[in-house]
Amino acid sequence: MTRFSRRFATCLCLCAVLLAGSRLSAPASADDVAERAKKLHFSSIVLDTHDDTTQRFFAKGYDIAKRNPDGHVDIPRMIDGGMNAIFFSIWIDGRIMGPPAVQKALDQIDAVHENVRKNSRDMVLCRTAAEVREAHKQGKIAALIGVEGGHMIGNDIHVLRMFGDLGVRYMTLSHFYNDEWADSSTDKPVHNGLTDFGKDIVREMNRQGIMVDISHVSDKTFYDALEVSKAPLIASHSSCRALCNHPRDMSDDMIKALAGKGGVIQINYERSFIDQAYKDASDKLTGGVVAQFDLFKKECGDDQECFGRKMAEKQKQAMEEGKLPHVSWERIIDHIDHAVKLVGADHVGLGSDFDGADMPEGMEDCTKLPKITEALMRKGYSDENIRKILGGNTLRVMEQTEKVSRELQAQ
Amino acid sequence: MLRTFLTAGILISAGAFLAAIVTADDISARARKLHFSSIVVDTHDDTTQRLLDGKFDLGVRNDTGSIDIPRMKEGGLGAIFFSIWIPSKVTGPEAVHRAMTQIDAVREQVRKHPKDLLLATTAAEVREARKQGKIAALMGVEGGHMINSNLGVLRSFAALGVRYMTITHSGNDEWADSSTDKAVHNGLTEFGKDVVREMNRLGVMVDISHVSDKTFYDVLETSKAPPFASHSSCRAICDAPRNMTDQMMKDLAAKGGVVQINYHVGFLNQEYRQRATPEIAIQLREEVQKHCAGDDEGCQLIEGERVTREFVAQGKLPKVEYTAIIEHIDHAVKVAGIDHVGLGSDFDGANMPFGMEDATKLPKITEALLQKGYSEGDVRKILGENTLRVMTEVERVSRELNGGK
Repeated sequence: MTRFSRRFATCLCLCAVLLAGSRLSAPASADDVAERAKKLHFSSIVLDTHDDTTQRFFAKGYDIAKRNPDGHVDIPRMIDGGMNAIFFSIWIDGRIMGPPAVQKALDQIDAVHENVRKNSRDMVLCRTAAEVREAHKQGKIAALIGVEGGHMIGNDIHVLRMFGDLGVRYMTLSHFYNDEWADSSTDKPVHNGLTDFGKDIVREMNRQGIMVDISHVSDKTFYDALEVSKAPLIASHSSCRALCNHPRDMSDDMIKALAGKGGVIQINYERSFIDQAYKDASDKLTGGVVAQFDLFKKECGDDQECFGRKMAEKQKQAMEEGKLPHVSWERIIDHIDHAVKLVGADHVGLGSDFDGADMPEGMEDCTKLPKITEALMRKGYSDENIRKILGGNTLRVMEQTEKVSRELQAQ
Repeated sequence: MLRTFLTAGILISAGAFLAAIVTADDISARARKLHFSSIVVDTHDDTTQRLLDGKFDLGVRNDTGSIDIPRMKEGGLGAIFFSIWIPSKVTGPEAVHRAMTQIDAVREQVRKHPKDLLLATTAAEVREARKQGKIAALMGVEGGHMINSNLGVLRSFAALGVRYMTITHSGNDEWADSSTDKAVHNGLTEFGKDVVREMNRLGVMVDISHVSDKTFYDVLETSKAPPFASHSSCRAICDAPRNMTDQMMKDLAAKGGVVQINYHVGFLNQEYRQRATPEIAIQLREEVQKHCAGDDEGCQLIEGERVTREFVAQGKLPKVEYTAIIEHIDHAVKVAGIDHVGLGSDFDGANMPFGMEDATKLPKITEALLQKGYSEGDVRKILGENTLRVMTEVERVSRELNGGK
């Protein structure tokens, strides 16, 4: 099924390239494309909706202002890669709940604020699409905040609103585990999607102008959120299930339904979400993404550096032993292209999962992002559509979310 | 002892004199004009507790308590600091969570009443609220225990609009001694001093109500901006540890600070304080508990006020008139100077004296001060301008510490 889909998708791609090519008066030379792509990339707002770099703020030795030998994101590399808008993810283990979850989330929100404040020449905290555009005009990186998991509000709508007031602009309804009011895609369902309180949370997010993020949630939770939300939803970091059958990814039907309501799927670069062979091998090796997560969690506790190191070591070893296949960054393009074929260029964006996932070869860090622009250009995507995918679509959802919020607050 | 006795005697006779000439319906045209053209700032109101009980509506006139929008308008209260408060014994993440809930409760009221309220975080915004004909809503966190020894939480509170933090409440916190607990830190710990410095940088006023005398002096030494006492009265008149000695008020004034007079009868009147014995307190608590669930702070404060008044009627406690507030203001002005006194009622969190039952009675303060011979300019300072001056100064220090940004 998957193989068929992929072949089908490849065929569609080829057709698109041919079609796009025929529209051009003369085929551009390779160097022309590289040059044009570079120009396009570095003049666009490149907005990544999911980066786990926040965790690194708490690690010794990490400085976002300097070029770091490890990880995927820091200011010098963002500048190199033209990544000028970033959602810092606020994340803690989904099994931490109640006031301790609230406290830890606040610590991370503060860490983002503090890092932005200390690097105010390069970064500015943004809450609206207009502020992101303004940051771009000033040549600064737009820093935004997303909360990755509803468990962090401590089952309390007051806390949700306070996160909103502190600048949080999306909340993922669950993480790996169900929370008190929503089922996760990687846990046993207990709520049948969203509970009534969960629906109130979505309504309140609409009212506060916080984007509803359906990455990580169960399919039923997704459809419940889609029904309840008055604003378009986003999947901040999910890829296509048709190409890689992972519960963290979205089925074609889901992507269509999301787009039908004006939303955007932000493609995740994690190897096991974009490559079926890798996912299968990885599952066999570790028992799946959550089991793997739990294993490292047991060994490392809250030490994120240890977590990252163990994960990299284990992966390197498995690769060397031939237990895990290679995954090329071009799989990201496949997923983008699949989603675009399915729902059009208005509903696809980028949600790397940098600093929180295993990057495919060729996308080792954010300096490699211009390759996406070039690859899409070579596929025949128009400049306008590429800009949409790079960030324009997300900005549109932000604007729409802000509009819904204004309307609801005026009621 | 002798001094206390004499002071109490003077207080009672002066109170009786003033009460005879000023009543709620007897505000002169001059006082009315002055009062309603001044920005009246109250730096301590526990109304926040009521916002969470699910029954209270700030937008309508209530039969109980002291504060709601209609009564604030009627009393000319132009700016109110909603107090974020949980008991000292609640600490850790639980304290942080509950404080956040209360901050949201205040911000929600502003969202729900956009025609009447404006969330203000600077002196300029308080003046802007007045220009727009709105009441400025501000927030103060009453107790350092709510930051869970975490400067990040302090910063988040500031980002959400909190503009003062009381260093402790009734119990010591992890880094400062309270005036009503056994000293364990010898004032402020080193971390406590870091908290004060971070408050200076953030532009959060340092509130020394509730803290031990040693903590007060440590704060005074550490803070680069003027500290203030958000709701404390004069110990020379009523010897409560929650009040300030004359020397403390002088030292506070020397640093540009302000003491905001608290209207609580137990802090205003020495006789009341002496007769409010532990036995009476137990009786009072038992009466209140008959009507309120264990954690319903909103109910407890309303019932507490009702039962206290019953005890006064039964002669168990003395009757204290609102004129006692004027005595404290006047004493503080004489000791610390006209630039260093303001209003910190403790409405909805304390037992109000007779004649100051709620915010509608505030013009009586203006009337009484004019009758005492205070100039209109001086009255304006006490009503709010002194507090606004401290806010402006705190904002200036914050800008300076942030490198002029």
